[in-house]
Amino acid sequence: PPRACDDYWSEFRHCKSLWNRFHHYYTHGTSPSCQQWKEDYRNCREWEKRKSTEAKEALQRSERNRVAEQTKFTPVWKLRQYPPRDWNMPLNQDKPQDS
Amino acid sequence: MDHTKQEGEYGYELFPHRNMGKNKQGSIAEGQFTFNHKCQIMLQFAMETSPYAKLLLSAMKNSGCKLFKDRHFSCEDCDGTVSGGFDASSSQIVLCQNNIRQQSHMNRVVTHELVHAFDHCRADVDWFNNLRHLACSEIRAANLSGDCSFSTEAARFNFGLKQHHQDCVRGRAIRSILAVRKIGQEEAEKIVNEVFNTCFNDHAPFGRIPHSKKDANFAYRDYENRDRYYSNL
Repeated sequence: PPRACDDYWSEFRHCKSLWNRFHHYYTHGTSPSCQQWKEDYRNCREWEKRKSTEAKEALQRSERNRVAEQTKFTPVWKLRQYPPRDWNMPLNQDKPQDS
Repeated sequence: MDHTKQEGEYGYELFPHRNMGKNKQGSIAEGQFTFNHKCQIMLQFAMETSPYAKLLLSAMKNSGCKLFKDRHFSCEDCDGTVSGGFDASSSQIVLCQNNIRQQSHMNRVVTHELVHAFDHCRADVDWFNNLRHLACSEIRAANLSGDCSFSTEAARFNFGLKQHHQDCVRGRAIRSILAVRKIGQEEAEKIVNEVFNTCFNDHAPFGRIPHSKKDANFAYRDYENRDRYYSNL
């Protein structure tokens, strides 16, 4: 499975915690929905224990959904192919020894 | 917080010790040494223990921009209340040794500037000419660094609840832009509003908005496991 099954359970518990519900309201103005994590935990266990293809596909769908949610906006900038050329170029000023 | 290139036009005046290559002498020197020393220690601690910073450092290394403390970080004196900045022209994160007094503040500033550095590394950000790019990175930095967490805002006496986080992010992004560009409040607001939705929802490399250290630890765990994750989708 994409994550260790215990990770799904810990995400579920974390999601339902008071702190997280507070932070979610503070950020989004709504309550978080945590059921999916519990569902994913169930499917993860099914996949591991019984090699259930249904469970496997359900879990994969859920995770792909999560990835899609993170990437559904159009970025304002273009991603680079290579890191900036001057990232490690030596500093050209005579800096005092404080850095 | 800002991406400085020229005196006056890009906010360089906030960082008077950049590009001056001088050695501070005299009785002030001892005070500077203590500030500087403390800054270095807090920076080291942040890099080693803050899950926010560790995740960003790891992500940057994997994007080809490994950070070296001596090359990419600089503790300096700054003007006013500025806490830090990212200088794209020298690929350095500036930390204001005279304005950062607590470890928690250092952790936040380091995270904030690392978000800028991360954006610089993975995208073609035109810091100097494209205000939408600048706004986007400021929105992300305010959003992901804990700058706008409930406790941080409460400490500023900004008590808000429902969706206050977003108001805070918007406000801080606008302020950051105004601090380094000579544009009006209205124009800054317009630009931030234009890119807000996209940039507020860009959580790279965290994969979520880390509201707390626990969130950040979860995000770090996910990041470390990303190979397994993507190969099993």
